Amino acid sequence: MFSTTVLAQVVVNGIGLSATYILVALGFTLLFGIMRVVNFAHGAFAMLGGYALYYVYGSFGVPYIIAAPLAALLVATVALVLERLVYRFFYQKMFQSMIGLLGLDMAIMFTAVMVWDSHERSIPPTVSDILQIGGVIVPADKLIISGVAGAALLAFYLFTKFSRYGLAMRAAAQDMEIAEAQGVNTVMIYRLAFFIAIFMAALAGGFYGQTYALSPMMGERPLMMAFIVVILGGMGSIPGAALGGILLGFADSFLATFYGGSVSVFLSFGVVILLLIFRPWGLMGTPES
Amino acid sequence: MNTSNPSSTLASSGLPPGAVPRPRRTPAGAGTFLKWAAVAILAALVAAPLLVNERFFLTVAVMVLINAIAAASLHLIIRIGHVSLAHAAFMGLGAYASVLTVMKLGLPFGVGVIAAFLCPAALALAIGPLVLRLTGKYFVLVTFLFGEIVRMVFVEWKGLTGGGNGIFGVPPPSPAFLDPRAFYYLSLGFAVVIIGFIARILTSEIGRAMDSIREGERLAECSGVPVLRFKVLVFVLGCGLAGIAGALQGHFVRYIDPTSFSMIQSLNLVVMNVIGGMYTLVGPMIGTIFLVVLPELLRGYVELQRVFFGIILIVVMAFLPGGLADAGKRVATLAEKRFGARSRP
Repeated sequence: MFSTTVLAQVVVNGIGLSATYILVALGFTLLFGIMRVVNFAHGAFAMLGGYALYYVYGSFGVPYIIAAPLAALLVATVALVLERLVYRFFYQKMFQSMIGLLGLDMAIMFTAVMVWDSHERSIPPTVSDILQIGGVIVPADKLIISGVAGAALLAFYLFTKFSRYGLAMRAAAQDMEIAEAQGVNTVMIYRLAFFIAIFMAALAGGFYGQTYALSPMMGERPLMMAFIVVILGGMGSIPGAALGGILLGFADSFLATFYGGSVSVFLSFGVVILLLIFRPWGLMGTPES
Repeated sequence: MNTSNPSSTLASSGLPPGAVPRPRRTPAGAGTFLKWAAVAILAALVAAPLLVNERFFLTVAVMVLINAIAAASLHLIIRIGHVSLAHAAFMGLGAYASVLTVMKLGLPFGVGVIAAFLCPAALALAIGPLVLRLTGKYFVLVTFLFGEIVRMVFVEWKGLTGGGNGIFGVPPPSPAFLDPRAFYYLSLGFAVVIIGFIARILTSEIGRAMDSIREGERLAECSGVPVLRFKVLVFVLGCGLAGIAGALQGHFVRYIDPTSFSMIQSLNLVVMNVIGGMYTLVGPMIGTIFLVVLPELLRGYVELQRVFFGIILIVVMAFLPGGLADAGKRVATLAEKRFGARSRP
């Protein structure tokens, strides 16, 4: 059961899952860390990302490497309208944002049902090749997904670490008022952070829709995963989201392979609930005073 | 929820945060008006099926009553400052408990209702002391996940719950209740007793202690309110009563399945409370009528009304965090402020 090839398989799957989980969770944690908004509509944006990819890649046949970021870019740009209309009223209001954005989630989801009806579609796979590297079977499209996700994460890391805007964003996340006093344009930073967050969610949504199936309700699972990852790592903590994503990705891959999918979900939920009760600020977050 | 609490709630508690609960007489005028209004509504509710004996109308009315019980039981929990997203799960637990008691054990409906109260209450008692220590957002997240776990148990435990297909052919409480009019009176009875009970709690000293816990937990504790014990008590009671609502629903619809008790339903119950106003019992009543009757009128446009509800939720949360009932109250507070602040001890 625990032979090396199977374990290697588990590791490869774990990398792919981790990458998508981190993508969804990073945006979620970014919105929380900077704007104090609990984005219950995150899964809805992931779903929109899936549909965008369906059209851009599936219908118009744009090459995948371009289509995936383009679709996500499209969703993030359209989402800016919602930033102005909805999100702006919920900045720095944690409790209200939770329920208000649940409402937004519902609105987007059922608009999608009206537009695309609720039956499942599938996004064509990128390539159907299967690579075999020393006994480990790797579907090539998973490799591509991991590659694109990895590139997006790297770009995000470089952006926040080395660019002026990234610095301003980190400053705003740490202390809003001081950042403002230093001349950081917070409205702009909010919009930028929102854009990046939605971009990553939509990108992950595309991968999700491709690996599983595309339907208006598909946002629920990414949302749940974002929750779990973010709680694991600590709400608002960016390294926490990365750590949480890796933990959950590998745990999920391992448990689902050996004990079945539902055991994996039960266990991850149970661990998260325990963590919330005994260490609500997560593994890498800081406790609130 | 201590820091993120809507700021307007002081008005509804009628008490400075954390003060030792003391009886406060409501002005006689307001009291009698409310009493007469309650009597009039009750009379109308009793008379309604005699005037309109139509199946559709009665079915909707029964659903309103059942949902009113559920929303009021959630209101109880919201009043201590916790928004639970697992309430439908507790409702479902009650439904399954009652249905299985009646169908598998062959016991009468009355025993089923008792089981429907005890099962969710026991679960609430088990998890309450742990989860009720959490503040606002963490409580919401935990209950969100917990509700999903319970729903997954319903789906996975196929031997007992019938899995995702649910349980068909649930018997009515007794053959007489196949008539929707009889069931209407049954659920009206339950609703009046349970909602009356909740109203009584909220106006009693316990209710005032609950408000003080929501407004300022530390202060309440310092003033001698056993905060955690109170919270657990209220949580257990709220979840148990939700179980009864679930049982009624199960025996009325005569079919239960996990999706009827999913997040969407939990969210609906929250919406009922939020739209009407979270800090007065009238709120969930208004919200329930709104949320159960409107979909019936908009039949065929199910998606559209969901979108509509979503938008309402956004607007209410963004601009009226205390709900519709609170809007009027806020005006009253403003007026009161103008004519001199209430003297405080």
